[in-house]
Amino acid sequence: MGNSFRALFKKDCRMLVSGKFFLMAIGFLALYTAYVDLGYIRFMQMPPYNVYLYDPAGTQTERSPLVQTVSSMEAMDAALLSDANGVGLDASTGEVRVVLYEGAEHVDRHRADYALSLLELSASPAPEVLGTNTPEQKARKEITCEMLFFELTAVGFLGIAAVLFKEKGIGVIRVHAILPLRKDLFILSKLTVFLLSDLVFAILLTLLNVGSAEGAAVLPVVLLQTAILSLMMALVGLLCALLLKDLRQFTLAYLVIAIFAATPVFLSANTSVKFDWINWHPFYHVYMGLKNAYFGTAISPVYYAGAAGAIVLLFLAVQLAFRREIGKEG
Amino acid sequence: MIEVKDLTFSYSKDKQALHGLDFTVEDGEIFGFLGPNGSGKSTTQKILTGILQGYGGKVSLFGRDISNLHEQEFFQKIGVLFEFPYLYADLSAVDNLNYFASFYPKEQRRDVGELLDALEFKPDFLKKPVSSYSKGMRQRVSMARALVNDPRLLFLDEPTSGLDPSGAVLFRKIIEQERKKGTTVFVTTHNMVDADLLCDRVAFISNGNLVALDTPKRLKEKNSDHRVVIDYLYQGQRESKTIEAPELEAGIPFAHDEIISIHSQEPTLEDVFIQYTGRGLS
Repeated sequence: MGNSFRALFKKDCRMLVSGKFFLMAIGFLALYTAYVDLGYIRFMQMPPYNVYLYDPAGTQTERSPLVQTVSSMEAMDAALLSDANGVGLDASTGEVRVVLYEGAEHVDRHRADYALSLLELSASPAPEVLGTNTPEQKARKEITCEMLFFELTAVGFLGIAAVLFKEKGIGVIRVHAILPLRKDLFILSKLTVFLLSDLVFAILLTLLNVGSAEGAAVLPVVLLQTAILSLMMALVGLLCALLLKDLRQFTLAYLVIAIFAATPVFLSANTSVKFDWINWHPFYHVYMGLKNAYFGTAISPVYYAGAAGAIVLLFLAVQLAFRREIGKEG
Repeated sequence: MIEVKDLTFSYSKDKQALHGLDFTVEDGEIFGFLGPNGSGKSTTQKILTGILQGYGGKVSLFGRDISNLHEQEFFQKIGVLFEFPYLYADLSAVDNLNYFASFYPKEQRRDVGELLDALEFKPDFLKKPVSSYSKGMRQRVSMARALVNDPRLLFLDEPTSGLDPSGAVLFRKIIEQERKKGTTVFVTTHNMVDADLLCDRVAFISNGNLVALDTPKRLKEKNSDHRVVIDYLYQGQRESKTIEAPELEAGIPFAHDEIISIHSQEPTLEDVFIQYTGRGLS
């Protein structure tokens, strides 16, 4: 059994190398890291809205350095015209008047309150800060979690399906039907290759983007969550590749899974949008498991039991589909 | 070696592929299984190779019911050549064969280089990826794969498909050599030349029924009208006459100066097949 598994594992690695899968993974890692360091973190540190103040008499002495002064109302109009999300504060009449282009009502209120708060720094209440993460750490963990989730659900899923479609297309799956090996090893070997590659990817992505000390601290739980998601997605990818006829059908399934399954999860987990049915969405729990791992929040044993059950069920379904595939006509 | 009794199989309730097949294949025999597309050949081979389950009747291989055979042990003893050369296109012939060989015990594995040499594989291509091979070269690698475990029972599906005439002759020679070693060979084919030249016995299958089983020679004899065509010269004229073969026992029963040729009107195996099934083999 050991020899058979070694042979399958070696062959699967070679297929991934020849398919340039590892190169692609390294490319994605570089891309994600560049995006986090050069784009996302800088973007998150920027003020939410630019605030322009017209105060010819200099009445606003306590203003924040984030407030940009303009020399006239015409200059403010010009600034708001080129930055429609910006907020203008007109203090020329003694009282401060908020000037802005209209958007959604609740957003406009937030913009106005934010702008006014920058003029009264001492009056702003100091909130009690929960958690130990700095804003940058929080931003880094959030974006790393999202990228890892995306990589595992979309890219990894596509990778394993592509490998299996290739083997299905050239018919070699049928040769394995008459080889003296346990048929589940064929599936296990692929799962192992993709799991290991996903784990290495998760380690590098976490250490590079969360930081070595912070990253190492959360890594054990992150790797456990990565393993759960990786196995699930690899099994779903295998199942799709075995059940669907060709890559065209698979592309449709891929779109359904990647867009319609992942989008509500991202919305519910990262914004104030909450769907009533989101608790029934399996990926929501997996995503939250990964997010909780990054933020060191406790994860329910019920979730682990559910994940283990899902993996076992998916594995059995893949085995069944694999048996069906190898018995097909040539 | 193979014993099949009342073998039935259905893909669905209204699609019965096999209707009670009965046949045996002796140790060291080359057995041909002939039938048109959709006749049940592949289904039968899949059952015999342990790929398809859920059949009715009894199938014994190596003296044991196939359902009781230990899967690993069984697959170690058989070799299967599929109709199409299923190989990893990115790997070379040697890498493909080493990979497939690695699933068999070391002492059972044949030398990959020797096998490819025997199959007259072009040495320049040994390390090149299979994607650069011609169909004939891929078929040679596939044959080497089927033989790499030195099987006791060899299943061959259209073994000479994609080969040029000299390649087909070589494959028939290799199959003969295997038989001489004691290997039993089960050949499914459309190719009547292969069946006629190679097989000790052939079975005709049509619509899931076995319609005839005998040696190619006897099948042709049984279905012959026993006539001969004689070309001869008589008084400077070339003439031709068809007579009943037994008439020859007393000599040429007509006046002639010189016999040019005598041809028996024995049917081909394909003619016999059409007689039994009413269908051609294509």
